[in-house]
Amino acid sequence: MADLLSETSPPRFAHDSEAELARVLDFYQVAWRYEPDVFPITWSPSGAVVESFAPDFYLPELDLYVELTTLRQSLVRKKNRKLRLLRQLYPEVRIKLLYMRDFRALMVKYGRVDFLIEMSGSNVHPNGNGNGHANGNGRVNGSAQAVHR
Amino acid sequence: MNEAPTATIHADVEEVLLTEEQIQARVAELGIQLTADYAGRDPVLISVLKGSIVFLADLVRGMELSLSIDIMEVSSYGAATESSGQVRILKDLSNAIEGRHVIVVEDIIDTGLTLNYLLRYLREKQPASLTICCLLDKPARRLTEIPIDYIGFTIPDRFVVGYGLDYGERYRNLPYVGVLRPSVYGLDSPES
Repeated sequence: MADLLSETSPPRFAHDSEAELARVLDFYQVAWRYEPDVFPITWSPSGAVVESFAPDFYLPELDLYVELTTLRQSLVRKKNRKLRLLRQLYPEVRIKLLYMRDFRALMVKYGRVDFLIEMSGSNVHPNGNGNGHANGNGRVNGSAQAVHR
Repeated sequence: MNEAPTATIHADVEEVLLTEEQIQARVAELGIQLTADYAGRDPVLISVLKGSIVFLADLVRGMELSLSIDIMEVSSYGAATESSGQVRILKDLSNAIEGRHVIVVEDIIDTGLTLNYLLRYLREKQPASLTICCLLDKPARRLTEIPIDYIGFTIPDRFVVGYGLDYGERYRNLPYVGVLRPSVYGLDSPES
């Protein structure tokens, strides 16, 4: 097995659920990067990027992006639309959207209902909705490039 | 006098997803299929504690060929997070598998994280072949792409117990696979 200890400090997660998912990935020795890429998804007529999508995690060994949304199911329409656009524009990108119900199921499976209860009383940090903006027409790199294992 | 334990655990199940008869029939089919595929190959079936032992016990009795079994146990997230930040082998193989035809027997595959770790570990042991036989496949939750060679049932994304699967170490002895009431694990509903 590879050496798993990272010498980089953990990123500042936008939400407690993301930090918890990172801990799960660490536990199972799955390497991850936090918000490493930003995908422009809509442009103005002049070509300026209007909207972009920055998936929460990239798992390099699995070549998979993971987006975790803690919104209630009834409020995820906007995120689903962004995801649909991303898949249309970047069909080579593999991405998995974990809804709140998926995350909850994961926590129940791991006996972490206490975390869910704690989380329901915590706040989302204001600067981390996972949907940044980019200035180009292609995939650009975000700031958090460290691979964590 | 306390309520009979079996009555209690049945009451905690809101829906039977797979009946005992359905499971037994499908497990028998898998046994026949494995018997045909592994004839003359003397496979070793590796079961991962604790969930898959019931499945393993029924499966091997439906396989009419020479085989051996081995048992592993791997720590899981949640229970182990206090003591260790990483998955660990709690019970390793008793015998070498180098050059052997290995069948990993799993109760359920959802995210695939545990199995992904286990397969990396087992490949290092250089078996002649490595295949996966799982009773329940829950693809909606998959994070890792794992080719599964033998699947008993593909099930929807619901929290299931029974036939070896537990919640808090209980319900493993149910003869069927059922959906656990969310109130049992402290939530009013899956969406609440």
